[in-house]
Amino acid sequence: MSALLEVEGLSKNFGGLQVSSDITMSLHPGDRCALIGPNGAGKTTFVNLVTGVIPPTAGTIRLAGQDVTKLSSAERVRRGLIRSFQVARLFKSMTVREHLELAVLQRDAKTFRLFASVSGTPGLADEVAGLLDTMGLGAVAATPVGSLAYGQQRLLEIALALAMKPKVLILDEPAAGVPHSESQRILDAIDRLPKDLAVLMIEHDMDLVFRFARTIVVLAQGRLLCSGTAKEIVADPRVREVYLGSRAHAH
Amino acid sequence: MMSATPSAATSDRTDAARMTASSPPLAAPLKTPRDLGWIGVPVVAVAGLAAFWLFPSDLGLLTRILAAALYVLSLDLVLGYCGIATLGQAAMFGTGAYVAGIAAVNWVADPLALLAIGGVAGGLIALATGALILHARGLTLLMLTVAVTQIVQEVANKARDWTGGSDGLSGIDPNPVFGAFRFDMVGRTSYLFALAVLVVALLVARRIVRSPFGLACRGVKEDPLRVSALGGSPKAYLVAMYAVAGVFAGVAGALTAVTSGIVGLDSASFSWSAEALVMLVLGGTGRLYGAVIGTVAFMAVHHILAATDPFHWMLFIGLFLMGVVLFLPGGILSGFERLAGLLRRKGDKA
Repeated sequence: MSALLEVEGLSKNFGGLQVSSDITMSLHPGDRCALIGPNGAGKTTFVNLVTGVIPPTAGTIRLAGQDVTKLSSAERVRRGLIRSFQVARLFKSMTVREHLELAVLQRDAKTFRLFASVSGTPGLADEVAGLLDTMGLGAVAATPVGSLAYGQQRLLEIALALAMKPKVLILDEPAAGVPHSESQRILDAIDRLPKDLAVLMIEHDMDLVFRFARTIVVLAQGRLLCSGTAKEIVADPRVREVYLGSRAHAH
Repeated sequence: MMSATPSAATSDRTDAARMTASSPPLAAPLKTPRDLGWIGVPVVAVAGLAAFWLFPSDLGLLTRILAAALYVLSLDLVLGYCGIATLGQAAMFGTGAYVAGIAAVNWVADPLALLAIGGVAGGLIALATGALILHARGLTLLMLTVAVTQIVQEVANKARDWTGGSDGLSGIDPNPVFGAFRFDMVGRTSYLFALAVLVVALLVARRIVRSPFGLACRGVKEDPLRVSALGGSPKAYLVAMYAVAGVFAGVAGALTAVTSGIVGLDSASFSWSAEALVMLVLGGTGRLYGAVIGTVAFMAVHHILAATDPFHWMLFIGLFLMGVVLFLPGGILSGFERLAGLLRRKGDKA
């Protein structure tokens, strides 16, 4: 099967500081991949490079075979490369339903309809109801997001990403800030994502990583250290060294 | 419709926010205050007609209030629904007034055609200047909008042959509306014409803010970066809404020109821009009707105070504004909403 996302030789220097160097990886339809690494390994920089928030110094990014390295982040979004945010970034005064309506309308390029009504848009209500259902947000559909519990905001982040019909979905610490007891709800929601989607999750919580990922990629000091199945990664002495080493420094 | 009082809404939300699998369904029908809007248009129309019967000798003032309400409504579209801080709305109002006035003096006499001309002129100037300045935000943008207004006013001042300069543009004498209703000396036609235009404008504005476009603009107001993460271009929405509001402001300017017969330099002044902001904040932003209520309150109080105490009325206007802003931070409209919520809760208890 052809790759949905191909990253080749991706590097980024801030002045003399190399924060990403020569990263090569790919995601295929149905992949459930976790990107891990100690603090400062360059995970967030990598996500920002792939999504087009910052331009790379070298390397190429291909989405479904097309070179998107030079495209803006909004253009990449329109082509199906979607991310959710580490800190929930939502429109505080808008309701859950309005968020999903906006995401779907934006995806279908219907947001410059000045004289149409949102509620009268064909198919919109059904699709939004489906998304609310998938994420278990139906009961709070009419609640302004500013007064939602944090866990529900995280679920809405995922619902928004899903509403945009992604080909590749990047989840940046989807359970950050959510009590451990409730992270299962987030994982359940992730389980219900379409099977042909390629999902890359950036996560600290190893418990979550092992429950979610079929493959794991390890970053350390801006480099791709190794990749493989969960079992291979646990057994890899280099990974232990990186994590134990960084922990030893931390304490 | 559910309660609109802050306290009741908060308790609903806390319930809804509990992250239990069996969240109480009572949160579902919760509506934002925005949604009580449909009664607003008929209320404006009926109140407008009532004023027509009650104050037959003040129709000139009332007509000015209606045109000003349309102008403040245009500001609500950009400020209340897009979060664009502007002190330059008079640039669009003045352009609409002058272009319609010049057209009336030289070529066109049909009042509806003049409104259309004013609207197009206001929309085009907003589109052109908006595309240039709307990449800026906050204070920088505020300064740029002031600059645009000054330029428009200076152009109107210098082009004396067309605009009459500081003497103002006069000689605007439009044909009867629909060829049947003559603009009379008392101002009956002017008033009813202005009222009809305002009601239609409210309906159109309501349609726009509830459209997919209006939804996207509210998104931009809250977090432009999140909108671009959804694949949208925040600046495109801002420029589009700025142009739409420019059309409304241009129509308001043309309406003033048509009903009053003159256009002066003050129609494109900084102080007229600032007054729009004052009237909007007074009435309440982001709700359309706040623009109407704020304009009526400001201009009526202005008129009454200036007539009763010609020496100190400015002081009283200032106190009135401070009172409203301190005690009703959401504007006069929020006061009505709170009152309505209180009454409804009492009704529920009884």
